[in-house]
Amino acid sequence: MTDTRKEAPDQPLSGAPLLRKHLLLIVGGAAGLIVTLFVMNTLFDGSLEKMTGTTDWRNILLVNALVGACIFLFVVELRRGAIRVLLTVIVALLLGFLVTFVFNLDAADRFARGEFRVQVVSDAEPTANDDVDLRFNRVRGGDFNKPNVVEPLSEVAWTFAGADGDLVSLLAYAKNRRSEVDLLVELRDDAGTVLAAATSATETQVEEKFDDLVSVKDAVIEGYELPADGVYTLYAKPEEIATGTVLSEALSQSQLAFEALLLGPIERVNRWGVWIQDAITLILLGMSFAIVFRAQQFSLGAEGQLYFGALVSGIIALNSPHVPGVILIPFIILASGTAGFVYGLIPGALKAYLGANELVSTLMLNVVATRFFEMVLNFQLKPPDAGYVASAKFTENAVLPVIVDKTQVTVAVFLLVVVVFLSWLLIRRTPLGYEIRIIGSNLRFANYGGVNSRRTIMLVMAIGGIVAGLAGMHLANGIHRQLILNISFALAFEGVVVALLARLNVLVVPFTGLLYAYLRAGAQFMERDANVSFEVVRMIQAIIILLITAEALVTFFQARQKRADIDETGHTVESLEGADG
Amino acid sequence: MFENVIDGIFSAVFVAAILRVTTPILLPSLGALISEKAGVLNIGLEGMMLSAAFTGVVVSAYSQDWFGFETGVAIGPWLGLLLGVCVSLLLAFVLALFHLDLKGDLFLSGIALNIFGSSATVAIMYELTGDRGNTSTLASLQMPFIQLPEFFREIPLIGGFFFDVFDNQSMMTWVAFIAVFIVAFVLYRTPFGMHLRAVGENPEAAASVGINVKRIRYFALLISGFFAGLGGIHISMGYLQLFQRDMTNGRGFIALVTPSLGGGTPVGTMIASSIFGFFDALGIRIGSLEIPSQLPQSIPYFATVLALVIYALQRRISQRVSEMRTASGAGFDAAFWGSIQRISILHMLLMMVAVIGVVTSGAILSAPNGFGGADTAVPAGLLIGAASIILFLIGLPFVRDIFSIQRNWKASALVTILSLGIYLTLFLTLFFEPLLALGIALVLSALVWYMIGGRVLMRGD
Repeated sequence: MTDTRKEAPDQPLSGAPLLRKHLLLIVGGAAGLIVTLFVMNTLFDGSLEKMTGTTDWRNILLVNALVGACIFLFVVELRRGAIRVLLTVIVALLLGFLVTFVFNLDAADRFARGEFRVQVVSDAEPTANDDVDLRFNRVRGGDFNKPNVVEPLSEVAWTFAGADGDLVSLLAYAKNRRSEVDLLVELRDDAGTVLAAATSATETQVEEKFDDLVSVKDAVIEGYELPADGVYTLYAKPEEIATGTVLSEALSQSQLAFEALLLGPIERVNRWGVWIQDAITLILLGMSFAIVFRAQQFSLGAEGQLYFGALVSGIIALNSPHVPGVILIPFIILASGTAGFVYGLIPGALKAYLGANELVSTLMLNVVATRFFEMVLNFQLKPPDAGYVASAKFTENAVLPVIVDKTQVTVAVFLLVVVVFLSWLLIRRTPLGYEIRIIGSNLRFANYGGVNSRRTIMLVMAIGGIVAGLAGMHLANGIHRQLILNISFALAFEGVVVALLARLNVLVVPFTGLLYAYLRAGAQFMERDANVSFEVVRMIQAIIILLITAEALVTFFQARQKRADIDETGHTVESLEGADG
Repeated sequence: MFENVIDGIFSAVFVAAILRVTTPILLPSLGALISEKAGVLNIGLEGMMLSAAFTGVVVSAYSQDWFGFETGVAIGPWLGLLLGVCVSLLLAFVLALFHLDLKGDLFLSGIALNIFGSSATVAIMYELTGDRGNTSTLASLQMPFIQLPEFFREIPLIGGFFFDVFDNQSMMTWVAFIAVFIVAFVLYRTPFGMHLRAVGENPEAAASVGINVKRIRYFALLISGFFAGLGGIHISMGYLQLFQRDMTNGRGFIALVTPSLGGGTPVGTMIASSIFGFFDALGIRIGSLEIPSQLPQSIPYFATVLALVIYALQRRISQRVSEMRTASGAGFDAAFWGSIQRISILHMLLMMVAVIGVVTSGAILSAPNGFGGADTAVPAGLLIGAASIILFLIGLPFVRDIFSIQRNWKASALVTILSLGIYLTLFLTLFFEPLLALGIALVLSALVWYMIGGRVLMRGD
């Protein structure tokens, strides 16, 4: 088992100077510390009183310290590979920005769309002419450009009668604060000659003189003296949009969107909670994939295992309202893990003993599990009077205890630490883990070396199932606190990205899980704050996978540091030779 | 109720429905077959189908704006088809580029394309329609349906049935089934097909005789993208006229298995796809019974897993028999071992029915309220479960080892006839009195056993 020491992070590489090892630790530690401090600083606006005034601030600090630790592990484990992961994420984010920009090219459209009104304000007496349809001081035009009209209204014209010497002000303004329409107003006489025109309003007009105005983008002709008795036309329309405006609007909208994406999750404690709770699920799923992929088994069964874990823990939770939580919670954890184990064992056995393609069988079993979950939920667990398909809320004793107030950050954090530690122990420090790695490197070699590859393949898929089952338990008993349809929301496939970004290294999975959950949480706030579709982030995800697997893209980069990264993936010839000896 | 379902299954309408739902599985399956033959299984079929389906809908809807209503309606579907397939080809090209030139992992790049196809279609749909569920606000068009000339109906005996099955099928259905034979021709009768198969079987050997492996694989992936595109177009423009998010619903993944279930041949792939079509159509049919719709909905997926198992077991048995043939040389009794092999396949099929029984009883016991309440469902579930487990256990020895059939053929015969008899009885009680049904079923099962190989075993004894 000599190679296990070789892969351990704290061992200097052969020939590497001692300083470099320490440098790595220092760099990793500094990065972790900086991120922890940065997150705490942003969360509490840099105010120490605000921090100590928040309930559970010690737990927040603890969780953020763990985040820092994840970053430390990431740097120390991947070494220069960390730079590649970061570069990939940055490139994918830039491409995502480009996509957002293209989608926002119609952002300037909102200046042409939006409800608006027109009004003629005057102290003069209205004339007796009833044929014209706009009286002084009467608001008109509220129906222009309803929020979802397809074609923006090009122009409106209203006529009014006025007497010589009347002082009139012509207003065209957005109907409400949501409407951002940019208007132009003209006064025309009977013959259609433009007497006066305006495209904007001043601050004083908006603030003091005219109550109805919404912003300076509204148009006002103030205090115009009518030259003669007669019928005049108030002509108003949204202003033409210049190409420059279109581009700058698209850019500023995209910037707004990316600001929400990149800083949104650490703005407030409740948003931070969304990030952390999502990260816990993702890390568990990523861990499941990392373990299974490590043996070169392309099993995508985590989704089905998650559903089974959630179902089993949900059923236990619903049926034991009087058992104290101290006993119930560990039991639920055990049961959900077992459920995942069993459902992972099936494709594992099919692959190991019958040679059934694990990719196909797991995908099919996922659907079977989902349908089974739906059926039990719909016909057995749903309370008869429930309006939608969901189980009853779990009782307090079956819900994972919350450690940060106003969030759903639960004791699952500690469970996660244990899972990460055990996974590391399994992969790096046990005979089974050794066999998993050997099979992953070279199945033929493993068989030749006397590894019972069938048993190992079956076990590795089942062990991946345990972790995925725990993820289901976390979703059911930690986040939703009841069983709902689509409880996973296709999270499992996101777990694939987490595992890949971590290069199947179980110690790096926590970092990549946090990173990816951060993007996902950011995407929610981006959708809420900037109206950019959540799916853009999934496109970024696809780009990340493509870039991270394309080895040839980085050959030029890797060639220089081949020696340094030689055991980074655990797949290389050298580590095998070490194992042999 | 059951009679309605049974009647429905043996009708022309049902066969027509099978053809209709087979089409979107068959088209990508052909793509998967070709890519698999070249040794580069295209995992990204799902994403390509979604992109093509979405592009087709959008282009056909907007062509009415671009070219005016009249022209738009006339050329819209064709333009949608063209551009949809082009987008699918583009994704296939990206996959080929990343796998063949940039040395990315084929499996993961394929997954990336699936994620991309699923997310990009939704994101663009949201931009265009403000809806992220479906494109019902777009007036998209349909591919034409093909009407048969009336004189087909006049063909004696089969004419009416034939006409009902094939009349008014979508053009894409015809394309799919005709494509099977084109693919077969290309694979087995052209130099390109030969090179393609050579590359898949042994790339080094193919390269050594001067075949450009990379170029062949590029072509294989592009062709699979082409078929995925056609399949996608059929899903959104064949019978529906809209795009829904993730509307391929796993067909791109089912398509990955059908070639291997079909023995790696185009016609076999067609048959395997039709089996899925049958289960799909059956799921829709059974939906009219009062059982949870999730049960029939999961049949095709569960059937795939079982099919994988049967395929693997069957391959192992053939291997063992052929090993024996090599070992024993001229003394090998081909007829005898052929019978054994057939009987063992029958054993496997019966075991699979037993597994389905266990799963069904599991479903009934987990949600008895869905099956008419706990009072009737729980005993029924327990009964089905116990019977299935017993039938499974008594069949197990014969599946594990084919020599046990030879050693103990009387027990094997008993197990086969008993299991088959019970399943047939369940079916026949729809038409006959229970006791009569049991009698007929046992006679039929014995006959089946005798026909497929029993007579040889009896003679050998």
